[in-house]
Amino acid sequence: MFRNQQVDLHALPMVASVVLKPISKNYFKIIILNKVIIYGVVTCLLIAAKFKIEEEVFQNNFDYIVVVAIIFCLLNFIVGLLSFKKRKYAIRDQDVIYSKGLVVNSITTVPISRIQHIEESRSWLARQLNLATLKIYTAGESGSDLRIDGLPHDEAKQINDFLSTRVNANN
Amino acid sequence: MQTTDFSNPIRQSYKGIIIIFAFNTYNFVRRFFVLFIAFGISLTKKKNFASVTPTVIFISVTGIIIILLILAVLKYLNFKFYLSKDDFHLSTGVINKDNTIISKSKIQNVYIKQNFLQQLINVVSLNIETAGDNKSEISIKALDKPTALQLKKELFNTSEPSATLVTKSEATTVFFKVSLKRLFLEGISQNHLRSFVVIMSFVIGLYYEFKDYFSSLKLRQRVEELGHLDDGNILNIIIVNTIIFLFAILISLLFSVVKTVVTNFNLEVVENQKTIEINKGLFTKVSLSLTPSRIQNIVIKSNRIKRYFDLHTLSVKQAMVNAKQRKNFVIIALEKEQLKHLVDKLLINYTSDVEASKPKAYYKYILALKAFAVVSVINITGLFIFGNMMWLINIALIVCSVLYVSTTYRKAYYKIDDDFITIGSGFIDSTINILEIHKIQAINLKQTIFQKRRKITSLIVHTASKSVKIPYISKTEANLIYDFLLFKVESQNKDWM
Repeated sequence: MFRNQQVDLHALPMVASVVLKPISKNYFKIIILNKVIIYGVVTCLLIAAKFKIEEEVFQNNFDYIVVVAIIFCLLNFIVGLLSFKKRKYAIRDQDVIYSKGLVVNSITTVPISRIQHIEESRSWLARQLNLATLKIYTAGESGSDLRIDGLPHDEAKQINDFLSTRVNANN
Repeated sequence: MQTTDFSNPIRQSYKGIIIIFAFNTYNFVRRFFVLFIAFGISLTKKKNFASVTPTVIFISVTGIIIILLILAVLKYLNFKFYLSKDDFHLSTGVINKDNTIISKSKIQNVYIKQNFLQQLINVVSLNIETAGDNKSEISIKALDKPTALQLKKELFNTSEPSATLVTKSEATTVFFKVSLKRLFLEGISQNHLRSFVVIMSFVIGLYYEFKDYFSSLKLRQRVEELGHLDDGNILNIIIVNTIIFLFAILISLLFSVVKTVVTNFNLEVVENQKTIEINKGLFTKVSLSLTPSRIQNIVIKSNRIKRYFDLHTLSVKQAMVNAKQRKNFVIIALEKEQLKHLVDKLLINYTSDVEASKPKAYYKYILALKAFAVVSVINITGLFIFGNMMWLINIALIVCSVLYVSTTYRKAYYKIDDDFITIGSGFIDSTINILEIHKIQAINLKQTIFQKRRKITSLIVHTASKSVKIPYISKTEANLIYDFLLFKVESQNKDWM
């Protein structure tokens, strides 16, 4: 399929064989908190609906609606838990790899030579849990920018330093 | 030819006052457009609105015009620019003074534009683009053409002004000039669905703008009355609908042709030694230049009818540094030979004789799902409108879907060689996407949970101006390509700009 095969394709460094490192377990707490807020809103809406809407069709089927809502929340939680385990990253000598997603799994690789700038951001909650988010920007469309959530703060700093020196050395 | 000295601060051509005035007036009218309409409607309803007489209106309109005119003159007087050895200086602003300095080496692109008004009074505008965000773009609105060309040249000369200029002008040849006939053909053979959508959105937009006005006309009631007359007479409805349909197609066709001719009038491709220059436009004349090193993607489009007339469209997507700013240049109505020549010029060493690979048959399944979704949406809405007639329509829809799946799958392919990725796709149009491997910004593998069992993934390649997808290939092959592309990008150390 390739013309001019002077490189042995199977001898190239393989992304598939890289051991990806999972992000910090602490980040799961943030995810849970976000989800709990959403579930709380859903519950509030249901309670409000119970008292406000007086249509009979709605009131008779209220139990079913509650069951559907609970199943939805449960499924959402399970998917959240499983996809959390899929959030993994790796820094190689030449590139940054980030993989995520349970239903739609995606592995993105950004060569270090294509990085435009790096941003480290920490929300209030992340500061409490000693976490950081690393955003890696390329010149490409938004789909090619990387955002690695839930890195331990020290590690984020190290990665940031490593990448910054490499990026500056390239220019 | 008289030469202008750019080393001292100069203003633009005095005709600039007219341009600035027109521009300000246009902005003013656009901003308060809705207000005017509302005012006009309330005037027609009540004969006098808060004791507004024609004299008051006349006085206020002249007052506004005078204010705009004074502003234009002030703006013109305060707009000065000059060139020093390495920099371009510009000072603007009536109340807030702005001083912009751009070093010549940071200028990415200079292009000359001429809109209808500027053509009337024979001036051009010159735009300077720099690496950075949109705000750093500078536009000089009114210069006479020789001055603009001279300024453009001087902006690009950092050192040894005369020597490089001579060699450049020698190598310039007009490579391609479009004839009016080919423009018409191009317009007719376009995908009319798109212009139909444009017209529809325009009509809907207008409708919303004048919604209140329409409702006061009681249009709806009249339409309903019309509907009542035709009720029960299916043949009549069909005839009326066919006429409306044909009319819509005719309008779309006309719109396409006019749009193509107006935007691409006198399309001309000039070949310089290193760059390619495009000039086009009837009301707004545009002149822009392409540098091969800045090109990120090339897209070639054609369809069955266009191939018959030997018409090919080439779009070039350029990127600017840092800013996520993209420029899309389109050259239409190229002959096959010319297309090949241009591609050779823009992509050095490009060959298309690599063996093409196809996506997995799973792609057909996805396409069928898409078609099914569209057909079911049409069915749900259609059942309410047409009732039992829907069964007949469904036969046509199914034929379309089958065609869609088989044609799209037939046209999908990808080729990868040492320096280029070529991806073919399309249903009505045949699209070929070409990109150079060293311009890749990031690579992405995407796999849904359903594709995991079948070991199928899609590979998405991001460049600075576009993302292209190699759809539904086997996991092992995707991994090979992934590693290969990364290896190429990381080992070559070539710049993407």
